[in-house]
Amino acid sequence: MPQRLLLVLLALGMVACEGRSTRAPSGLLSPQQQDPALSGNGRLLAVIEDQNGRPTVQLRNVEGGGSLRLRHLSRHQPHSSPSLSWNGRYLAVITQRGNQRLVLIEDRLSGKAHPLRLPSGRDPVQVSLAPDARKLAIQTADQGRWRVEVIDLSRLLEPDGPGGKRSTTPSEPNR
Amino acid sequence: MKKRCITSALLLCFVALGCSQNGIRPMSRVGASLRRSAESRRLPSMGQRWLASLASRNGRERVELIDLSNDTPVPLNGINQADSQTISLSVSGDGQRIALVRQREERTELMLYRRNASALQRLPINPPGVPRSVSLNGNGRLLAVQVSRRGRWDVDLIRLP
Repeated sequence: MPQRLLLVLLALGMVACEGRSTRAPSGLLSPQQQDPALSGNGRLLAVIEDQNGRPTVQLRNVEGGGSLRLRHLSRHQPHSSPSLSWNGRYLAVITQRGNQRLVLIEDRLSGKAHPLRLPSGRDPVQVSLAPDARKLAIQTADQGRWRVEVIDLSRLLEPDGPGGKRSTTPSEPNR
Repeated sequence: MKKRCITSALLLCFVALGCSQNGIRPMSRVGASLRRSAESRRLPSMGQRWLASLASRNGRERVELIDLSNDTPVPLNGINQADSQTISLSVSGDGQRIALVRQREERTELMLYRRNASALQRLPINPPGVPRSVSLNGNGRLLAVQVSRRGRWDVDLIRLP
């Protein structure tokens, strides 16, 4: 009898550890989604979706699935490697300008765009924004090897940590 | 003498402007440490004071977590296995959890590593699909994973205990 109870408890424990899975929110036509990035608080999800054949970053509410407007990111495709700060105030993504890949950080609270040319002059391959937006890690290629550079953004961006300013404002309509 | 001073000051200004273009500055100490400690490094993922990445030494890639407050790697016992290849990784903001997608024995698996238990656990994907890219939220309780399923890419959200 105790063995049976132990088995039941073990099975329940395994189920509890596996987590609950749901499909991420998407638009009406349900386009394919790639490169997911969650905000630190887990309320927002950035993904790369095909928009008229162009890989474009989209920002969605995890609960409810509403799409949020991005002021500076409807062009300069293809976009890749999105990354969000804690409250989703900042969205960093790699964009294309001419023949150059460029990191662009959109500040959703102020409406400003911050295009970044890397101090090393190399092209970004993948980026990751720290949750408080004080640092950015960037993968680049250098003489046939992958490198990771870390840059300090504290003179450029206000911090966006837990308990900071909310990034969702009344002037930000859903699409 | 005065001319030389002015020239030096101008040069210093140019250097300072060059290094802090757009208000951004390379973290030179961290950068040097990252270059010294691996032949190559990719898949960066930032936590609050953590940097997870895939570091290559002697031709072998290993998941590495660096505490950026002192530029020191922290132990990740059991996360690196000789017969597996990591293709995506993400660290939670608090640095306590690392999600990764790895290829092992011709299977692609979604895994979760908990530092407090030094435990690597496989996470099932329902309905079944092949995982590709992962992202954890700040406390590591929500995971987004890109999944190939029936010929298309979806993103699944998994809530974790």
